[in-house]
Amino acid sequence: MPLSPQVLRELERIVGAAGLIVSREGLLTYECDMHTFYKGAPEAVVLPESAAQVAEIVRLCRGERVPIVPRGSGTGLIGGAMAPAGGVMVSMTRMNRIVEIDFANRCATVQPGLINLWLSQATREGGYFFAPDPSSQMVSSIGGNASTNAGGPHCLKYGITVNHILGLEVVTGAGELVRLGGKTHERPGYDLTGVMVGAEGTLGLVTGVIVRLTHLPESVKTILASFSTIEDASETVSAIIRAGIIPAALEMLDEVVIRAIEEGIHAGYPKGAGAVLLIELDGPVAEIEAQAAPIEAICREHLALEIRVARSEAERALLWKGRKEAAGVFGRLTPNWLLQDAVVPRSKLPEIMRELQAIGARHRVVIANVFHAGDGNLHPLICYDDRVPGELERAKAANDDLLHACLRLGGSVTGEHGVGLDKCESLPLQFAEADLNFMARLRRAFDPDSIMNPGKLLPSHPACGEGFRPVARPLPAGTWI
Amino acid sequence: MAVSTPALHDALAELVGRPHVLRDPVTRSRSAVDGVMPGAVVRPGRVEEVSRVLVLCASERLAVVPRGAGTTQDLGNPPRRLDLVLDLGRLTAVREYVPEDMVATVETGLTLGGLAAHLAPHRQMLALDPPGGAARSVGGVLATHASGPLRFRYGTGRDLLLGARFVQADGTITWGGAKVVKSVTGYDVPKLLVGSLGTLGVLVEATLRLHPVPPATRSWQVALPSAGAARAFLAALLDCPLQPDRAALLDTTGLRRAGLAPNPFALLLSIGSVAEAVEEQGRALEALAGTHGGRATGIADAVWSGLGAAVDSPIRLRLAGEPRRLLDWMGEAQAVAGRLGAEAGLLAQPGHGVIQMAAWGSHEPRRVGGELVEPLRAAVEAEGGSLVVERAPADLKSVCDVWGTINSETLTIMKRIKTEFDPRSCLSPGRFVGGL
Repeated sequence: MPLSPQVLRELERIVGAAGLIVSREGLLTYECDMHTFYKGAPEAVVLPESAAQVAEIVRLCRGERVPIVPRGSGTGLIGGAMAPAGGVMVSMTRMNRIVEIDFANRCATVQPGLINLWLSQATREGGYFFAPDPSSQMVSSIGGNASTNAGGPHCLKYGITVNHILGLEVVTGAGELVRLGGKTHERPGYDLTGVMVGAEGTLGLVTGVIVRLTHLPESVKTILASFSTIEDASETVSAIIRAGIIPAALEMLDEVVIRAIEEGIHAGYPKGAGAVLLIELDGPVAEIEAQAAPIEAICREHLALEIRVARSEAERALLWKGRKEAAGVFGRLTPNWLLQDAVVPRSKLPEIMRELQAIGARHRVVIANVFHAGDGNLHPLICYDDRVPGELERAKAANDDLLHACLRLGGSVTGEHGVGLDKCESLPLQFAEADLNFMARLRRAFDPDSIMNPGKLLPSHPACGEGFRPVARPLPAGTWI
Repeated sequence: MAVSTPALHDALAELVGRPHVLRDPVTRSRSAVDGVMPGAVVRPGRVEEVSRVLVLCASERLAVVPRGAGTTQDLGNPPRRLDLVLDLGRLTAVREYVPEDMVATVETGLTLGGLAAHLAPHRQMLALDPPGGAARSVGGVLATHASGPLRFRYGTGRDLLLGARFVQADGTITWGGAKVVKSVTGYDVPKLLVGSLGTLGVLVEATLRLHPVPPATRSWQVALPSAGAARAFLAALLDCPLQPDRAALLDTTGLRRAGLAPNPFALLLSIGSVAEAVEEQGRALEALAGTHGGRATGIADAVWSGLGAAVDSPIRLRLAGEPRRLLDWMGEAQAVAGRLGAEAGLLAQPGHGVIQMAAWGSHEPRRVGGELVEPLRAAVEAEGGSLVVERAPADLKSVCDVWGTINSETLTIMKRIKTEFDPRSCLSPGRFVGGL
């Protein structure tokens, strides 16, 4: 149902004409995130400039029962920042400032639209950085990182986004503007900050973030090891972790991805290798030197073809450029793809990689791999061409088989991308009805009218088991669902 | 139905076995919470038994307080009602442990010491070492959000709890989180449970992130002649690439109570890494200490497990302020205690701005409340911090709230959560913030 002229007038009053997009062409930009499979444009996009404006928008929408979809940079991969039920999209791109850098407390206060990498650039001189480093960090926003609890290569050592968030300013679905957490590291009461991080905008909108800053390591060593088979590389990963060494990052790329990266970016990865591991150690010089030796020995034991250590910052940057921009070269591999984000226990990596190859063969699809091997977080890219009849169906079948295999091994549906629209129907594979009910009820405590990013994160028909009560005030049929 | 009725006793006995329903005065009094005696202590032996007991409690509207090892049972406001203490001491199994995954799933009645013994042969550890550590239960440490010196590198239960099985007030066995080190599938329910003091559910199983035990570890005590020296040294330490894994800052009384040389201040640190790095960082640490008038000397590893003695007193406060203000708050705490004429010992978490303050001496509760707790709380709350009365006799709790002021919008959300999951307020009623 289109927004009423009155709602549009109110929105314009709140954010000004320059902060309101209602034209068809303008809205098209916002119809999907990076998961272009799912499309749904909002009826209006607003670009607020303050938390107070956001609170006004939420109260207005709540009164009118209009759904709200938050959006940061739109780099998500899950159909999260798009509007399947229409409504109002709140884009945070105009709230993109660093409010304060507080080195003495080792934290920074930022607006949600701030680009992740800008913060590390602004704090580098002072000797600090913001540790969460999703591959999208040049373009993704910290509010988006917080809302999806983003990961990244270096979260193997440093932890995921939630471990780096001290406080949030949010507007809940009930329209309350609240400050959760803060510069102090603990406070009495439930950890609402911890619940809000990763909630994908289904509980409220993040309007401010206090993040922890991490001291830059004394030194960094980046090692590239190549192997003839993905099995050897997988066994190497398990052996490194088994030896009690936790590198800063431990990434794997397979032959298909290496080839595409070399054609597109020329990162210097060895062509023809079956797999490469990108291993980074950071910390005190003596520590990384002492850890590098056993890592190289483990690589050799597992028949590494070549072990190369980056000799300069430029070499290191190039190796990482290949990894971080891998998604950009996917277009060279395939016209279309499905991307998984499932996780397996790290000891199961060799097993799941064998299974993955069998699944690819069984469904006659190419599966390319570039992923966070150290914590068992897979990113298989299942290639297909939607112009060829039957390919999409085969890709989907392979996708399902793979997800089931990961969960059979004790894994998780998503490690860092989130649930969004893409994976919400997979949650029952990992959670029982009672578990999903708990989450549905938790959602209601923040968003009593279910206006926040509806249809995302939880299955569309949350199981109505014991203890679950329907929303107190049901929406009239056909309003916007 | 009153808890004393034979019918209820029989019903409980049927659920957990007669030997595990204890109603003798000694057990009941030992399990009293802030002086409030339960009608019975129930000791379920399986998760399903916890569920059945809670179903019964829900239908009979009985108030339940869960208990782990019982070492921190005095945290919280006195319960509004108390019928049963649910003792989880029989739930001690290690359910899953694959060393290669560095993840373990354990029942929450298991003590930290018991878990450590299980992990030691694989040179792995759960990086949580709250004062009084080894005897405390995994569930209790998580439910109270307890932490110790290892927080400096590894964080708290909020960083280490990956997945949790818990029993809701209506008896529903529920799972949240994951058994792998990285998962963003659904809400992070474990975060909600850590520090919730058994008010939303009873934690029965925890899936925990483990860490390798460093190949080598050395510990130092850096004696510091003044607050100024302590402040400067701490700032320099935090702003350099040294990577200690444990850190604790104590004042004179804290040091003396912990059996250490009573300097004005001392920062205790340990560095765990490969042997070469420990040696190199140790040299750098000693040099850094020297430039700030400090003197670093080696201490035995055993010192760490004895730190709880620094703050083992009948009255203990927990102050959290901005990390940069740590020394200021330590000074303020000493000054306020001095005006009251109480002996105060301080044990702080550098880098996190958290201070545990112990007070000894016989003072009238109203004076402790009015002259120690309230002024310190008012000052730290004005700067966005908090002051929790971690431990106190019931008569002190009757004159001052344990948790302090919670901002009203936030409390409103917390109340909605509590009402959603425990509408009849059967789980630890009244013990948590805002009377939840």
